[in-house]
Amino acid sequence: MIWGAIVGGLAGTVVLTTILRAASELGVTRMDIPFLLGTAVTADRVHAKAIGYALHFVFGLIFALAYYAIFRVIGRSGFLLGAGFGLVHALFAGSALVNILLPVVHPRMGTTFDAAGSAPLLEPPGFLLVNYGRQTLLATLLAHVAYGAIVGGFVSLAG
Amino acid sequence: MNHGRIDGYAPIADYGAVGDGRTVALIARDGAIDWLCVPDLDSASVFGALLDSERGGRFVLEPEAGYETTRRYLPGTNVLETTFTTAAGVVRVTDAMTLPAAGLSPYRELVRRIDGLAGEVPMRWRVESRFGYASADTRIEHRAGVPVATAGRDALAVCSFGAGEATTSDGAIAGRFSTRTGGAELLVLSAAHQEPLVLPARREVEARLEATRGAWRRWSDGRKYAGPWPDAVLRSALALKLLVYAPSGAIAAAATTSLPEEIGADRNWDYRYSWPRDSAFTLEALLALGCAPEAYAFFSWLLHASQLTHPRLQVLYRLDGRPEAEERSLSLTGYRRSRPARVGNGAAGQTQLDVYGEVLGAAAKFADFSGGLDRDQGRRLAEIADHICGIWEQPDAGIWELRGEPRHFTQSKMMCAVALRRACELAERGLLPRKHVERWRDEEARIRAFVDTRCYSQRKGSYVRSAGEEELDSALLLAVLAEYDEPDSSHMLGTVDAVRRELARGPLVYRWADEPGAFLTCSFWLAEAFARQGRLEQAAALMDELVGLANDVGLYAEEFHAETGEFLGNFPQGLTHLALINAAVAYTRASER
Repeated sequence: MIWGAIVGGLAGTVVLTTILRAASELGVTRMDIPFLLGTAVTADRVHAKAIGYALHFVFGLIFALAYYAIFRVIGRSGFLLGAGFGLVHALFAGSALVNILLPVVHPRMGTTFDAAGSAPLLEPPGFLLVNYGRQTLLATLLAHVAYGAIVGGFVSLAG
Repeated sequence: MNHGRIDGYAPIADYGAVGDGRTVALIARDGAIDWLCVPDLDSASVFGALLDSERGGRFVLEPEAGYETTRRYLPGTNVLETTFTTAAGVVRVTDAMTLPAAGLSPYRELVRRIDGLAGEVPMRWRVESRFGYASADTRIEHRAGVPVATAGRDALAVCSFGAGEATTSDGAIAGRFSTRTGGAELLVLSAAHQEPLVLPARREVEARLEATRGAWRRWSDGRKYAGPWPDAVLRSALALKLLVYAPSGAIAAAATTSLPEEIGADRNWDYRYSWPRDSAFTLEALLALGCAPEAYAFFSWLLHASQLTHPRLQVLYRLDGRPEAEERSLSLTGYRRSRPARVGNGAAGQTQLDVYGEVLGAAAKFADFSGGLDRDQGRRLAEIADHICGIWEQPDAGIWELRGEPRHFTQSKMMCAVALRRACELAERGLLPRKHVERWRDEEARIRAFVDTRCYSQRKGSYVRSAGEEELDSALLLAVLAEYDEPDSSHMLGTVDAVRRELARGPLVYRWADEPGAFLTCSFWLAEAFARQGRLEQAAALMDELVGLANDVGLYAEEFHAETGEFLGNFPQGLTHLALINAAVAYTRASER
């Protein structure tokens, strides 16, 4: 049922955000997803964080619906399967989504072709996000596996 | 970079300070930034050469050949200008930590603008980033062509705009360039904490630097002081503003930790905390200079921070209001081998009874300024007054935070009496609940009886340091400043005279008889006591001499060594600057009467 995906998406995003924030507080990573997303829209730091959180939850819902669609296609769901989706999701985020696609669409994100010249540039994340800390990928994997398990579990519970 | 340095350490008086309301950088006369903590004043250092010249990390920027320097702050600002004069030409370096502006600015940004004034001057720079008090594993990499140093949650980008191609080696990022007449180059440090780095554009850096100058000037223009020593008062106000931690309104006692009170000794403490004890002085100074927003923020912070320990007041709190201040030693060698270099402050766990008098005094001043106190503030202050009634008979560590056996310090008892007097006065104005006023009055009378019978020496004609002894303590001057008694009463006049006779050498006042360095705050307290007692000529003469002891850019440390002429202790020292402002204001008011 789609409500399971929606509730799971919201709950999963809360947990994902919390894990990444905790990792940041513990010095594991400098990745700040709301900041990265928000600065794609505005250069104002305060507004960027607020907008970034909102966008993050929207994306969390969109990905939950995508998970739901795949669950429907393959005819099964569950927290273990969701956790597996989360693992693939994290690898995709670290290798392609944030590393390659985000710099392309993000107006303030640096690429290897830029030099600090005309506009303020955000530090690019690098392959598997290592620029934001060597253990960023571990935190990202953990957060996304938890997210996927929650979405999978809620979809399964909702029948 | 060996200008006047001893074993790689610049004299404390050689430092100027720049900051942004979150952190402060100390810049030596030779252009080296030897102290910077990021992201906040009480965070770990990334440049800690102040406490370990070899391993601490610094940002060197200087001409390649020999030079002389002159310095000044741009008028009305905390933007520092250092002019290097060499045989080949003259170059000016302008240092500032920029204030946040519209647009995507770095989390913290330190800008060094290099202007060629004459000739052609080869320059060199070298950034040695050593995060975590030089204990963190730091990596140097490149992002979008910019060299960056990273360690865990923190990162620092070094952006060069015309200041030469950066090279990396031996854990440092370095460059060389020549600046010619009319040339302007920029070196920018962009710091990130728990977020990606922002690599700024030159145009925006220049705009932020200009906006920062303007913001400081506007702040200075808003200060109202029309008495003598106006430059010293304004510089002190600007120094205090550097120590205001903008996110909370707390005021740090100083920007550094572990600058020694005696070279080579172990009295090295972390002053990057806020002391409620300083609250009355702070409120008085801020309000006298028309800093109403800062006064309001500080008083709100004070009540907020003390909530967790209420009704007990802790000696010091973190700048974010938390009470923890666990003390530990760093692996750094310490300033000129004054070991240990400490972070945290064990004094947080002490009992210091004088704190209560200062906080109730601050509340009274705040109530006068704001027209009242809200009901919750009044209730909490009344509970603090009740608490004093139950603890004033205990011995304590005293205002100087002595780590020996607690004693019955006279000044501590006096401040308890002052606290209860202020509580009664506020209750009479309807600002505190009146339920326990009679008890407060009775206890105040008991304290005064104790002080007059046990803490006064008929032989000296003065109050003494603690009950039953004959030694003096310059903290007794605070009895005049806190209005424990009429300033011109025989006991007050006798005490001020005795302190001057026994603890002052020229303009310098020592806290006690055998102290190596004179405590500059006490010197200004003596000037203020003179002013409050109507001894204006003595006050003015003393102020003239004390104002002359500031360093070349108007800053003070905690202590001054009479024989060597050196500054000692943490720097810049908020309490010294507060005392200067309050002494000047007291003199001005007394002159007008």
